[in-house]
Amino acid sequence: MIPLELYILLASAMFTIGLYGLVTQKNGVKLMMCIELLLNSANINLVAFSAYQPNVNGQVFALFSIALAAAEAGVGFAILIALYRLYGTIDLDNINAMRW
Amino acid sequence: MYADYAYLIVALPVVAFLLCLFLGWHLPRGGGFITVLATLGAFIVSMGIFSETYPHEIVHQSMHWFADFNVGILIDPLALVMLLMVSFVVTLIHIYGNGYMNGDPGAARYFAEAALFSASMLGLVYADNLLQLFIFWELVGLCSYLLIGFWYRKPSAAAAAKKAFLTTRVGDVLFLAGIILLYNNLASLNIALKPGEYLLQFPVIYANLASIPGDQLTLIALGLLGGAVGKSGQFPLHVWLPDAMEGPTTVSAMIHAATMVTAGVYLVARMFPLFYAAPHGLTAVAAVGAFTALFAATMGLTAFDIKRVLAFSTVSQLGFMMAGLGVGAAVGTFAVGVSIFHLIGHSFFKALLFLCAGSVIHAVNTNDMREMGGVGKYMKWTMYTMLIGSLSLAGFPLFTGFFSKDEIIVIAYEYGTMINFLPYIFLVLAAVLTAIYTFRMWFSVFTGKERSNYGKHESPWVMLGPLVLLAVFAFGFGFAAQEDFYDYLDSNFEHYDVDFVELGVIGGHALEGEHGAAAAEGEHAAAEGEEAAGEGEEAHGEPWYIQILPIIVAIGGILTAALFYWDRIKKFDPSQVTGERDPIRQMLLKGYYQHEILTGWFAETIVYGTALICNVIDIKLVDGWLNWLSAWVMGFAQHVRKVQTGIVQNYVTALVLGVVVLVVVITLAREVGLV
Repeated sequence: MIPLELYILLASAMFTIGLYGLVTQKNGVKLMMCIELLLNSANINLVAFSAYQPNVNGQVFALFSIALAAAEAGVGFAILIALYRLYGTIDLDNINAMRW
Repeated sequence: MYADYAYLIVALPVVAFLLCLFLGWHLPRGGGFITVLATLGAFIVSMGIFSETYPHEIVHQSMHWFADFNVGILIDPLALVMLLMVSFVVTLIHIYGNGYMNGDPGAARYFAEAALFSASMLGLVYADNLLQLFIFWELVGLCSYLLIGFWYRKPSAAAAAKKAFLTTRVGDVLFLAGIILLYNNLASLNIALKPGEYLLQFPVIYANLASIPGDQLTLIALGLLGGAVGKSGQFPLHVWLPDAMEGPTTVSAMIHAATMVTAGVYLVARMFPLFYAAPHGLTAVAAVGAFTALFAATMGLTAFDIKRVLAFSTVSQLGFMMAGLGVGAAVGTFAVGVSIFHLIGHSFFKALLFLCAGSVIHAVNTNDMREMGGVGKYMKWTMYTMLIGSLSLAGFPLFTGFFSKDEIIVIAYEYGTMINFLPYIFLVLAAVLTAIYTFRMWFSVFTGKERSNYGKHESPWVMLGPLVLLAVFAFGFGFAAQEDFYDYLDSNFEHYDVDFVELGVIGGHALEGEHGAAAAEGEHAAAEGEEAAGEGEEAHGEPWYIQILPIIVAIGGILTAALFYWDRIKKFDPSQVTGERDPIRQMLLKGYYQHEILTGWFAETIVYGTALICNVIDIKLVDGWLNWLSAWVMGFAQHVRKVQTGIVQNYVTALVLGVVVLVVVITLAREVGLV
């Protein structure tokens, strides 16, 4: 059986990659992808712990999380498409009409 | 049986008010007949109650309202004579009004407001507690505002209405303060109230007066006097009364005779035990009254507007009534009878005089006496009824005014022998002037040559009828009713648990002389009240020249006026005494420069100046520091808001850094063992 530490390492790596992307990238679509990475790293953790401590709750929770991520992605991309139509770009640095 | 319907006395005019207000437009003559019928109904009910209760019973009904207060009806002799007088005079005025207001587009509004006016005054009179009285008191003020400003398109009428409202408001605030003070004092006594008794009910107030500290009593009395001064047009709050002439003449008649101004005198009479118990309370009343009586009479002497002459005479006569109550310090409750007698008599002849003046104005179409003259040739009925009114006002022997005013002057003399002669001197001088200005008015209106081309016709009978009826009362009421009236009113306070001897000790004027004894006897043996008062009557014992002086004064005054103004026996011309440039004449014409002092100097200089200073303080100081603070906050925010960059990455970085810091801090804390 694969040790639990490896799962956690994988999840941490994914989380860090996602966070790095989130902080450095400016493209809206890339940001969405980074957010997916963050969410999925959390899902890995949930499933792994659930498998090692015989309790199915964690896996159920992961399913909820995936559904939520799908909904969030839907709304997010809709916003991005609307922004693109309005500004002709999805570079978030340029979208600052409501800033001081 | 009539007593069960006592509420109708107010309810009927209120119904008339609603009917006229909403339906009057569709009725002939603005629905004036409804108002007449309503007040007539009130008069009939009052008459019925009178026949049931006279002379030894009172009616008292009351129900709980809220908290410590009740609504109730208290009809004792004092209230009953007022009810009868008000409903009777007001009915006549409304009948007259049907003729006078005929054709006025606002007739429905007039009759609605007049009905409400009557209802408020009647309600004021038989309220059984001070709070209820105050509510009706304010309603009376409101109606007077509406009616004085009846022709509201005329700027002077609108201004006069405002003036009346604001001036009486000054007094009303004092009145309210007096009520609150009285309530607090009564509440702090922890009186054991029987069921159905409430703190501000008059019987409860009377019964517990002796327990209130003297200085508090004086404060309360001064507060109530303030209210009375405002309502009854006493100095210094008399300024609104002459201006109240801007309304229709019927309104002036109502305000000056039956409703409104009598309310102040009635209040003092109603609270007489309190004034009696308050040290200096009655002294203040006597001083205000006597001064006003003379003060207003001098102004009446020079006015040219026929209604203004009458207005000043009202102020002056109200001064007589106030002084009559004030000298009660010497004669006890007898003063209430004397003063209210003058009030009732005065409302008859003053209503008569105003309605006559209205009749003249209706025909002549001017208020200015200089443009009249010789009107008597065309208006015989008006002339003779007005003559009766004038004789009564001047105090000609056997007329009503003679009996009532004479008695006030006599008790003022009694007061003089005991305490101070000033009120007496003021009143006698005022009586001389009253006779002079009344007949100056009468002669210059009805006799002599026509001084301008005016309308010449007698008024219709709907107007003359009330005049004749009022003239009968103005002539006959005095000798027909005087003794019974005094006895009846003297018994008023015997219905309550009030000990005038004890109150007199608190007030610092232990009853002296015969009246004191009479009042005391009456107190302890209510049934013998009449007898006791009778003894008081006989035991006057003033020298004969004091008894006769008012007659001399009245006739002398009338003769003086005749010598100056009646062309048949004219010996002098006013210009021989005084010229255009005479400073005293100018002063009187200008009304002692009250307008210049009150409006010109006080209002425009002092008040306006103060207001300007306050305005600067308000802008610079009160608003200033607040504006400075908000400006500072805005400036600070300008800098701080830069933090919100609007760039998502910055937020994420901040979030992550925050989490990292939190983790580090918590870990360190756990290491150290804090958590």
